[in-house]
Amino acid sequence: MNTDIELEAWREQWQTDPVVPPNLRRNVERQSRLMKIGLIADTVVTVVMGGGTTLWALRFPGTDRGLVAAATWFFLAAAWLFALVTKRGLWAPSAIDTASFVDLSIRRCRAALAATWFGAGLFVSEVAFGLGWVYKHSLQEPQPLLRWLWFSSLRIDIVWICTLAFFGALVWYRQRKKVELTCLLTLRGEMAGQTADGSDRQESQSAWDGWPLGRRARRSRPGRDKRQI
Amino acid sequence: MVEIGPSIGTILDRASLDRAAVEQHFERILAANGPALSRLAASYTNTISDRDDLLQEIAVAIWQALPRFRGECSERTFAFRIAHNRGINYVTRTRTQVSGPIEEIEVHDPAPGPESDLARRQRADKLRKAVYRLPVAYRQVITLTLEDMGYKEISEVLGISESNVGVRLNRARQLLHDLMENQK
Repeated sequence: MNTDIELEAWREQWQTDPVVPPNLRRNVERQSRLMKIGLIADTVVTVVMGGGTTLWALRFPGTDRGLVAAATWFFLAAAWLFALVTKRGLWAPSAIDTASFVDLSIRRCRAALAATWFGAGLFVSEVAFGLGWVYKHSLQEPQPLLRWLWFSSLRIDIVWICTLAFFGALVWYRQRKKVELTCLLTLRGEMAGQTADGSDRQESQSAWDGWPLGRRARRSRPGRDKRQI
Repeated sequence: MVEIGPSIGTILDRASLDRAAVEQHFERILAANGPALSRLAASYTNTISDRDDLLQEIAVAIWQALPRFRGECSERTFAFRIAHNRGINYVTRTRTQVSGPIEEIEVHDPAPGPESDLARRQRADKLRKAVYRLPVAYRQVITLTLEDMGYKEISEVLGISESNVGVRLNRARQLLHDLMENQK
């Protein structure tokens, strides 16, 4: 390319003031902030739960309390291991191009979906261990297990209510993430199609506008092309 | 009664008038050069928050220097000279180089619309990334050239001779060309 033409082209590109779609950028920044807050929260939980149960076991020595402390540390270690593995490479986009932002959002979405499965498994394990421990060590009078589990006391009621709320929230969060992931994958597809042939630019631009609200928000826009859904 | 000098009221009036004039001047400079200064700040930084911090520093430095501006050069030259000095300070302070991941930099878009489509964004992202990878001395010359400045104005901003500008610009263009080619 002639150098002056090249310089003019660069000049035009430089002054174009390109923007990453602001909603995409804001979403990634918000997620990054939430990840940092989550890291702090995880640390606090580790210190409070792990430290608390350990101190409790040291202050009142006994096999049952030692078991609680060991189990707590086991669950915490599992949670940390999972978090460290799934969050690796998810803290910042790998490059300056918009595609990297989309790619990062997709990987974060997938990690969040995997975390829902892990969270459900961990929660069930913790509840099972907790109930088992309480049933074995702190009941005044022996009761049949099933009857004890069936709303026999306020503590059991609270456990079931919390379980119900946790799984309700988990299902809602999973649905939201699935919608977001579908939307992001569609955008990535549109982006790849657009860069391949240079056409359909206005359509792709409109696709960014609805993100990250998902399909429903985009569907409600009048005059939308059905193939974007 | 004989007036020996201006009264305190007059001095205060003049001071407030001066301040208002400086404020107007400051706003005019930022309005005229805001997007270009934002692009310049982006060329020295690799994250949005750092870019915003640097832009803030530049604005403060312009505000502080404005009362001493006597019009020896254009407002644009004045603003860019300060901005580049701040940029160099920033690089020296943070030692920001292309070691970490480069975050997407959003810069002010004065005319969003059909023109600001994805393909243009990607090309401009690529250029921005390549410019950021240039050594500072070349980056300064090329960013000013891309802002439509001539040799004379660039030499005034950077405090180097016009021939030096030419030499640096040629080298910067060559390096930038290579970087853009390597990104393909």
